[in-house]
Amino acid sequence: MKKTVMRTVGITGALGLGLALAGCSGAAEPAASGPAEVTFWGWAPGYADAVDAFNASQDDVVVTYEEVAPGAKGGYDKMLNAVTAGNAPCLAQVGYETLTSFAAQGALEDVSEFANANEDEFTPATWSAVSIGDGVYGAPVDQGPMALFYNKAVFDELGIAVPTTWAEYQAAGEKLKAAGKSLSASYLNYDYAGFDWQAEAPWFSVDGDSWKVSIDSPEGQKVADYWQGLTDAGLISQAPMWDQSWYTGLGDGSIATHVGAVWIAGVLKGSAPDGAGKWAVAPMPQWEAGDDKVGNVGGSATAVLKGCDNPEAAWAFAHAMSTDPDIYTGLIEAAALYPAATELLDLPALGEPDPYFGDQVIFDVFAEASPLVTTGWTWGPNMPETVGFLDDGLGKAWSGKSTFADALTSTQQQTVDALEAQGLSVAE
Amino acid sequence: MHTSSTRAVTTADSGRRGLGRTGAGAPAPGGTARRSGGRWRTPLLFLLPFGVLFIAMYLVPIVFAFVQSLFTLQRSGLGLEAPTLDFTPLANYTRLLGDTEFLASLGRVALFGLVQVPVMLGLALLLALLLDSRSARGKGFFRLAAFLPYAVPGVIAAVMWSFLYSPVTSPINTLLERVVGTGIPFFAPEIVLWAVANIVTWGWTGYNMLIIYSSLQTIPAETIEAARLDGAGPARIAWSIKIPMVRPALVLTAVFSIIGSAQLYNEPKVLQTISGGAISNTFTPLMAAQAQVTAQNYPYAAAQSVVLALLVGVLSFTFFKLTNRGER
Repeated sequence: MKKTVMRTVGITGALGLGLALAGCSGAAEPAASGPAEVTFWGWAPGYADAVDAFNASQDDVVVTYEEVAPGAKGGYDKMLNAVTAGNAPCLAQVGYETLTSFAAQGALEDVSEFANANEDEFTPATWSAVSIGDGVYGAPVDQGPMALFYNKAVFDELGIAVPTTWAEYQAAGEKLKAAGKSLSASYLNYDYAGFDWQAEAPWFSVDGDSWKVSIDSPEGQKVADYWQGLTDAGLISQAPMWDQSWYTGLGDGSIATHVGAVWIAGVLKGSAPDGAGKWAVAPMPQWEAGDDKVGNVGGSATAVLKGCDNPEAAWAFAHAMSTDPDIYTGLIEAAALYPAATELLDLPALGEPDPYFGDQVIFDVFAEASPLVTTGWTWGPNMPETVGFLDDGLGKAWSGKSTFADALTSTQQQTVDALEAQGLSVAE
Repeated sequence: MHTSSTRAVTTADSGRRGLGRTGAGAPAPGGTARRSGGRWRTPLLFLLPFGVLFIAMYLVPIVFAFVQSLFTLQRSGLGLEAPTLDFTPLANYTRLLGDTEFLASLGRVALFGLVQVPVMLGLALLLALLLDSRSARGKGFFRLAAFLPYAVPGVIAAVMWSFLYSPVTSPINTLLERVVGTGIPFFAPEIVLWAVANIVTWGWTGYNMLIIYSSLQTIPAETIEAARLDGAGPARIAWSIKIPMVRPALVLTAVFSIIGSAQLYNEPKVLQTISGGAISNTFTPLMAAQAQVTAQNYPYAAAQSVVLALLVGVLSFTFFKLTNRGER
């Protein structure tokens, strides 16, 4: 009796652990005559409506939309598992930052034979984000030029001028602190990358046939040094970014700024409704007065996954979702997406005053910012791993347990080690 | 039984070979073999549903994970094509031995188990004994109240606790600051493990209490009665009669808890986002393996899982052997 119990316990223990590795997924696409069928995995608000609008507008392709967890929260794992298992959907929402990593897993389908004809319809920066070498792996949907979001009501009340440089931003933080308020936030992974992007401190670049890793560059350390100063001075909110307490702070005015991408507007409206009428948008603070350099956070593509049996139909939908004025108007309203397609930059929806932002036409700020996004940023071949290293370090830095300088140094080292361990060629 | 004749033959056969009373399954020569195959058909049929699921859901994934762990991912140049898998049986395991983060995660859950399991089981035993005592009132209520946290799914419980621990809004700290003037830094590096342990203890004490309590129920009333007549008080009865008699239940819950500690994942994973870096990506062995999955390095994740499974197996076995020594 006891023996049996013991053996069962031993086996169950061992087996339960093995199971932790077993993934799950499922989406088969029956090939049928009649309209082509395409399945699309995504998570952004408004995508389901975009699919419905597309299906209603034509009879050749029927798209089935399935919502998955946001990429970094399991969506990407699910997609890659499905590709490995051979039952992936044709299309998936993949952020630009992850696209290279997907390509490096052999998880994407090259659709350049259908897509190349449409290249001129997109901004050069977003087109280069979906192209690797001669291959094109999806349609760019949006871009994420950055700006300064600030609580105008709080700034006016405290008599703080809108900061135009990072030094002024720090000074604004001091005044906010004196009034018991703070700056946002504990930026991690890609949210943090936007600052290095602005400072022209790319994390990766390609040098011949080798990767160059430069997370720990002097320019990157300058940015780190700045945030270290603000953290040491206690100017940054202790509310973890994306946590409920962060949303609450943005809503009630205790967190009075956020430097982020255009889609932060949608986040504010959706998750901090109490801030309505108080927030405003201004250009991103600059390192030197008179500069005009902007960073980018996020933006994603409708990527074609490996094994898609009808890439032409898949491209037809991906292209339409990114370029059709009616469909895209819905995306702007639902998620404050900022189009990657140049023709859509004149959409009426982008010229409307927004009551949440005190009737400011916020997209005017981003229309100016978009062409100022610095060039030369390249994403690495295993971003999920790199940002895992980075977040361990940055998390400690924001909470004062370690420093930003250490976070960059250790991320650099761990990334180089991990890439070399897999046989990639790395030049430091 | 319809096969009594077969059994007679087999028994006689085994007896002749001096095997004593072995099971009836010993292969019998000649004509009896076919008939003894027949007597296995029914039990096999009953075993089939379990057997199929066991093989498909347990054995196959384990073997698959083990086989995967013998390969390493290899790329070249910029690595923009799908990686290849090289058969290098020991490479992942060698890397693992030098992986300080993973080794630290093993040490962390070991320390966790060493402290949390005795505390939780001690509490569970105490609660069970209180419920079982003659003077207990409101048994139904207390049993349910202690068990209730277990009914809350682990992740939901962790989310709830993350509100209680939150560095900005923690009501616990708000209260403490008002009363004693200082809060508890739940996410300080030296405290965070015990903040996690607290959640696990909260969630699982009631469950273990129920197992121990139901075991207490099986102690014959005569035994307790006899002890009482001999003049033993409640404490003495608990110590000398009840606890020794629920020993098997304690061993069982201990082994379950050791396995649970090794598989720690939900609670630290949920707390990670608000922990200010105190809970790293490799805080527990399973989190480390999951981080490797996210990095698409399945073979290394498989190796980590195999090592963890082996360690847990050995540990459970050793614990069982040790606690069984001296009995019988």
